[in-house]
Amino acid sequence: MNHKEALDREEVIDFVMSCWDEDAGAFGAHPDHDAHIHSTLSAIQILIMQDALDRLDVPRVVDFILSLQQESGVFSGDSFGEIDTRFLYCAVNALSLLGQLDKLDVEKTVGYIRKCRNFDGGFGACIGAESHAAMVWVCTAALAILDRLDEIDHETLGWWLAERQLPSGGLNGRPEKLEDVCYSHWVLSSLSILNKLTWIDAEKVTAFILSAQDLEHGGIADRPGDQPDVFHTQFGVAGLSLLGYPGLNDLDPVYCMPASLIERMGLKKGWQALPRRTN
Amino acid sequence: MVEALEAKKLKEHAKLKEYLALTDEVIVKKNGRDWSRDAFDLTTRVLHVNPEFYTVWNYRRHILVHGIFPTRSVLCTPPEINEILTTDLSLTTAHLKQHPKVYWIWNHRRWCLENVPVGPTEDDPDGWRRANWNKELFVVERMLDADARNFHAWNYRRYVLASTPVQRAEQAELTYTTRKIEANFSNFSAWHQRSKVLTSLWDSGKLDIKKSKEDEYELVKNAMYTDPGDQSVWIYHRWLVEPGNDYEILRREITSIQELLDEQPDSKWCMESLVFYHRLQLRNHSSRLTDTDKQGIVQRCLQLLNDLQAVDSPRRQRYIDLSTEVQKLA
Ligand SMILES: [Zn+2]
Repeated sequence: MNHKEALDREEVIDFVMSCWDEDAGAFGAHPDHDAHIHSTLSAIQILIMQDALDRLDVPRVVDFILSLQQESGVFSGDSFGEIDTRFLYCAVNALSLLGQLDKLDVEKTVGYIRKCRNFDGGFGACIGAESHAAMVWVCTAALAILDRLDEIDHETLGWWLAERQLPSGGLNGRPEKLEDVCYSHWVLSSLSILNKLTWIDAEKVTAFILSAQDLEHGGIADRPGDQPDVFHTQFGVAGLSLLGYPGLNDLDPVYCMPASLIERMGLKKGWQALPRRTN
Repeated sequence: MVEALEAKKLKEHAKLKEYLALTDEVIVKKNGRDWSRDAFDLTTRVLHVNPEFYTVWNYRRHILVHGIFPTRSVLCTPPEINEILTTDLSLTTAHLKQHPKVYWIWNHRRWCLENVPVGPTEDDPDGWRRANWNKELFVVERMLDADARNFHAWNYRRYVLASTPVQRAEQAELTYTTRKIEANFSNFSAWHQRSKVLTSLWDSGKLDIKKSKEDEYELVKNAMYTDPGDQSVWIYHRWLVEPGNDYEILRREITSIQELLDEQPDSKWCMESLVFYHRLQLRNHSSRLTDTDKQGIVQRCLQLLNDLQAVDSPRRQRYIDLSTEVQKLA
């Protein structure tokens, strides 16, 4: 939204660094919390956006990430071993941002995603799990980073994603479920990676996201009338950006980061957003 | 009114202060590698207030592994370990009732189950494991009674079925999905599970694939006629038909959907599915079709896609793109 200066750079960097877990060699969600792959990716993303990657002990973080890959190819979130395609995406994304993808066993990693693919074209959290928009996004984005979108049945997945739109204009995460603003990000980013954003009604999703705004205090909620939070605000804005909403910066749907930054790093993939409107 | 609100605020403030003090205390103990029983009890209190505090779940397991279990005294014999883990399983059951979607609670449960010791006796080394695992299906079924679409519960269910020491017949799982589907045709989670169970039963030869598929067509047809707008049913039907190698079945299903469309001329899912199955016809069985047949089918698809643009306008562009694809099959 072009207001990076709203947060003090030094404070942001100091906070991120205070989340470092020296025992594990990675970041926790908060100072004194244990290292986890999810917060480690967030830390890397923030440091890159603040142009402060020199503060990072790259070899240790890479060791931490690689140590989490399991025999099956999936990643666990931490040393206790909860596995999930979300963590696989965190690993692929982080290694790519750090320029360390050559250290990853790509075949093994892609092999696990392939086993999570369902007949409806989508992906779940682990082998056997039902397709879910969030896991569809993490698997699609991971495959995009690894240049392996050929693993996806584009027409079937595009169909499944397009059917996430409900008469209200909002998107749901699975068949016959309620709409929620956070799915805007997951569904729209996936469609954008498949170059099929035109398969839903952009105007109606835009109107739905805007209707979940709190006009008095700012922020976006999960659906109209509910309490806004940072999580749904981020995902709502991300969705609006891909839909070409005026005045927003371009979002890279693969990395969920500013598109200009990813392009400068030479990591841009072949996704397509809707053209930015001027009014 | 104002006083009541003020009192509520004060109470909430006090609660928050108490929680923050607890948090500080637990972090100090954790940083000092305190693996005592006191520290363990403290984690119970913190997790009771905030079950999302993953670091404290980790700390709790560290206390058990490094502090409590290794004390092979009278206090921590295998029966005692089994009892501690059984108690933790009950604790997480209570947590789950309040927070059915917190990943960390489901995880802790798995960890407990996987760490149940061998015993009670040499003659019955699986006794404790069996006793603990046997409760799991019951727990997960209560969770699915409360929310039949909870994907945490479904994933956990598949994990339990795959890992339990005494394997259950797969047919029982098929029966379970029938029950869930009959309670609510829209429950796609149950349809999904059914597709996985059936694939396994067919692959292992435990069910006759031909006969079993016919039963499935019957079940789906029933559901389609009950609510032709329910996409769960149509997605499952597509799975049943694919890859569409059996020409007679493909034709029969097309005819049957056409009949439903005649009754419900606006049914988007009838039209969408007809286009899909007609395309399978053209792609997989073109040798059986004359040129006139093919032209007819292509024209029919184009007509349906045109109608779909009107009845389902949000996805208009998709139908336009599909029209281009269909023309390539002419
Ligand atoms: Zn949400």
